[in-house]
Amino acid sequence: MILQTTIFPEQATEMAWHIDLLFWFITIVTTAVSLGIYAAVFGFCVVYRRKEGEAVQTPRIVGSHRLELLWTIAPLAVFLVMFAWGAWVYNMAMHAPDDVPEVYVVGKQWMWKVQYPGGQRVILGANSADYAKDIGGEAQFEGVMVLPVGKPVKVIVTSEDVIHDFGIPAFRSKIDAVPGRYVTTWYKPTKTGEYHIFCDQYCGTNHSLMVGKVRVVEQAEYEAWLEGTYKTGPGKNSVDGSLAHQGRQLFMKLNCIQCHNGEAPRAPLLEDVHKSLRPFKGGTTAFADENYLRESIRKPRAKVREGWDPIMPAYGTTGDNALSEDDLVKVIAYIKSLRKGETPNLTQNWVPPIGSDTGPAAEDAKTPAGPKSAAEEKK
Amino acid sequence: MSTDYGHTAKSGASLDHHDSHPHGHAPSYLHDGYGWRSWLFTVDHKRIGIMYLVMILAFFLVGGVLAGLVRFNLVSPTGALVDNDTYNKLFTAHGVVMLFFVLIPSIPGVMGNFFVPIMIGAKDMAFPKLNLASWYVWMAGSGFAVWAILAGGIDTGWTLYPPYSSRSSHSNVVPGAMGVFVAGFSSIMTGLNIIITVHRMRAPGMTWGRLPLFIWATYATSLIQVLATPVLAIAVFLLMIETATGWTGNPVGIFDPAIGGDPILFQHLFWFYSHPAVYIMILPGMGVISEILTCFSRKNIFGYQAIAWSSVGIAVVGFIVWAHHMFVAGISYYAALLFSLLSMLVAVPSAIKVFNWTSTLYRGSITFQAPMVFALGFMVLFTIGGVTGLFLATLGTDIHLHDTYFVVAHFHFVMVGGMVLAFMAALHFWWPKMTGVMYSDFWSRTAAITIIIGYILTFMPQFYLGYHGMPRRYPNYPPEFRVFNVLSTAGYTVQLAGFLMSASYLLVSLFNGKKAGPNPWGATGLEWAIPSPPITHNFDKTPVVVAAPYEYSLNLTQTGEKADVR
Repeated sequence: MILQTTIFPEQATEMAWHIDLLFWFITIVTTAVSLGIYAAVFGFCVVYRRKEGEAVQTPRIVGSHRLELLWTIAPLAVFLVMFAWGAWVYNMAMHAPDDVPEVYVVGKQWMWKVQYPGGQRVILGANSADYAKDIGGEAQFEGVMVLPVGKPVKVIVTSEDVIHDFGIPAFRSKIDAVPGRYVTTWYKPTKTGEYHIFCDQYCGTNHSLMVGKVRVVEQAEYEAWLEGTYKTGPGKNSVDGSLAHQGRQLFMKLNCIQCHNGEAPRAPLLEDVHKSLRPFKGGTTAFADENYLRESIRKPRAKVREGWDPIMPAYGTTGDNALSEDDLVKVIAYIKSLRKGETPNLTQNWVPPIGSDTGPAAEDAKTPAGPKSAAEEKK
Repeated sequence: MSTDYGHTAKSGASLDHHDSHPHGHAPSYLHDGYGWRSWLFTVDHKRIGIMYLVMILAFFLVGGVLAGLVRFNLVSPTGALVDNDTYNKLFTAHGVVMLFFVLIPSIPGVMGNFFVPIMIGAKDMAFPKLNLASWYVWMAGSGFAVWAILAGGIDTGWTLYPPYSSRSSHSNVVPGAMGVFVAGFSSIMTGLNIIITVHRMRAPGMTWGRLPLFIWATYATSLIQVLATPVLAIAVFLLMIETATGWTGNPVGIFDPAIGGDPILFQHLFWFYSHPAVYIMILPGMGVISEILTCFSRKNIFGYQAIAWSSVGIAVVGFIVWAHHMFVAGISYYAALLFSLLSMLVAVPSAIKVFNWTSTLYRGSITFQAPMVFALGFMVLFTIGGVTGLFLATLGTDIHLHDTYFVVAHFHFVMVGGMVLAFMAALHFWWPKMTGVMYSDFWSRTAAITIIIGYILTFMPQFYLGYHGMPRRYPNYPPEFRVFNVLSTAGYTVQLAGFLMSASYLLVSLFNGKKAGPNPWGATGLEWAIPSPPITHNFDKTPVVVAAPYEYSLNLTQTGEKADVR
């Protein structure tokens, strides 16, 4: 047990190195100052202790503006260095590089659902029996999130129910999974191995079991893993089972295409929407990011595009137009992938994916998540 | 019935007023009426202070036992004692009891009530009946909280974050929130009373520049209590609405996004109170430390004005740092920058205080009775609590440390290492004044050292755990964290021994403690110019203040007499 104890926690990303450097800077500065204070307190207590039979006479010292100014400004200066350094690191940690693969993570009590761009999907979670085994050295988790070493990946996190937090200590990364919005972070793993994933925001009974592992592997191993991993879509290869492709199917099935089309448009075309500047009624504008797309689907009347009528029905989490968090992710992935001229034809029915062995298209579409994944979720 | 009580209260020779006071004087407040009515219907600020003290010590015992259950459950990586649900309810109850029913009312309710009027030379609070009402309101609030805990507990954590608390938890969130809501009004009443008492009831000559620093600190605390507590009331009231309307099947969406709310809104409202609440807990403790360090080193305080204004500075800047609890909750990047910067600013006044206290010891004539040992322990532990706050105010490191045991260790160093030690210091400093008797010197020093050592052993390992990523509120954890959890639990038992020791010699002193006399420490404040225990109206005639506090080098009390130490 003691042998498992380490002095320094594992560093598995570049960010871990940055955060540790800052951590040890603050540790050394504050330890030095604290020890200085302790030395003064202890020294004064020894030197100026009242000795037996000594007259109680002390000098009348009421303060020193010069000293007080010194220990107002000096700590402030040190604190401002910490602030600036911390802000620089935070800036790096919060802003992902452009054009990196996006992995969606949806939390729910008490599991994580990780969806890869190719449609691969893993579920993370544990139960106490697993931890009992873990003590014997044999951890068994529902699934493992796999990432390639040396490649940045953007992580977009949300929650289906209450607030969770997707934290990986070895990556020095932590981000709240807030229901109703997307929060993003990113990793660039630098070291292969298996690391803990914890839920860091209290979420109920099995909060401490909403844990898993992330495995960082070499690129070739990663590709082999992607190939062999179950995808939610009907197709088995990484192109037609992709999140964007599944989103396209939903786009047709949910009749988004009836208005968002090029032939008889009743709503804006969604080509090249992502990251574009959108003008709204009332003269405001906003850049279209994940949260904007999300809001436009969940609450279409929150921001109405200039030149269009607010006719779109809201796709909430319950009711007739219910759209699960998992499916919403697919639709958004599709909209983000949509380039000029790629909007489907209005009359074109949705096309069963290549390699699909399912029956008629319409039947399959009735259960968009697929029966197998529904069974998975019940776990 | 009342006579029965009277006999009980009289037992112990030293409490007998015939011994304590020459004939012809008014009886001490403890002997001014004996029946239960004379306590429960009293408007005497000192009796109300004692009533707070009794209840707070009872809640401290409850909260301490809950902490023990939490700690002992953590000696095993899969939970040694209880299942996950019970564990969640235990740490929630520990947090709610310790924060709202021990720490927040501890020094304002007990020491503030008892000593603010005396230290400024007043005969009572400005509003004695409001003062009594505040105790009853607080008791009503604690009644709701106790009901919530006994009826099956609350499993949300003391932070009550929705939508978990409002929509998902099936525990007693509404009575628990009601307890916090009601107890808040008591806090407002006490704060209001202290502010007006300090403004309107100072004795002749007690100028703002001659106020003891404990008064400055309590005054700053009261400002926070009056201005911040209503926001907590709003937050928990809205939470109760969302929860209770959920039972009808037609919920009003306030915080749950599934029904149109915003969960981050609650966090803003909650921390707008709960961060300043941290200063409600620590500021009065800082005031106590200023009183004790000067007295036991026979020195003037170093930088009176700097310490007084830093209390006010902490109170004001403390209001605008709340979102540093939300750096990883998806708040705006620029908001995070601003709140990190402001959090750095609020650390400066605390640093000033620590440096000034240290300088106060310089060339003193220092003795080490129990209050001083606790006060020195406060300086050591509060410094650790303060500097570890910098790791959390710094954006980069907060990403990693947020919601881990590092945070748990940090705020326990401030709350327990700071406030509980300050409360113990205050209790030992003013015990002879409140009861008229002195406790065992040897045992009190031993207990103080035991508590400090146990304290360090409990919470130092948690910094390690947090840096290595162990999240808060985890009854199950990976086995590599076990060693440090066991160490932490061992520390708890050492602390427990220390606190039990304190309880024993303090209780014993009530029955056979030596008489303390009016000024056992040779201190300069007005509270030491009157008999111990004080008479009901504190002063036979209104005192005239002629000196600044802490004129130990001139051997001069605030009323112009000799402050002889021996």
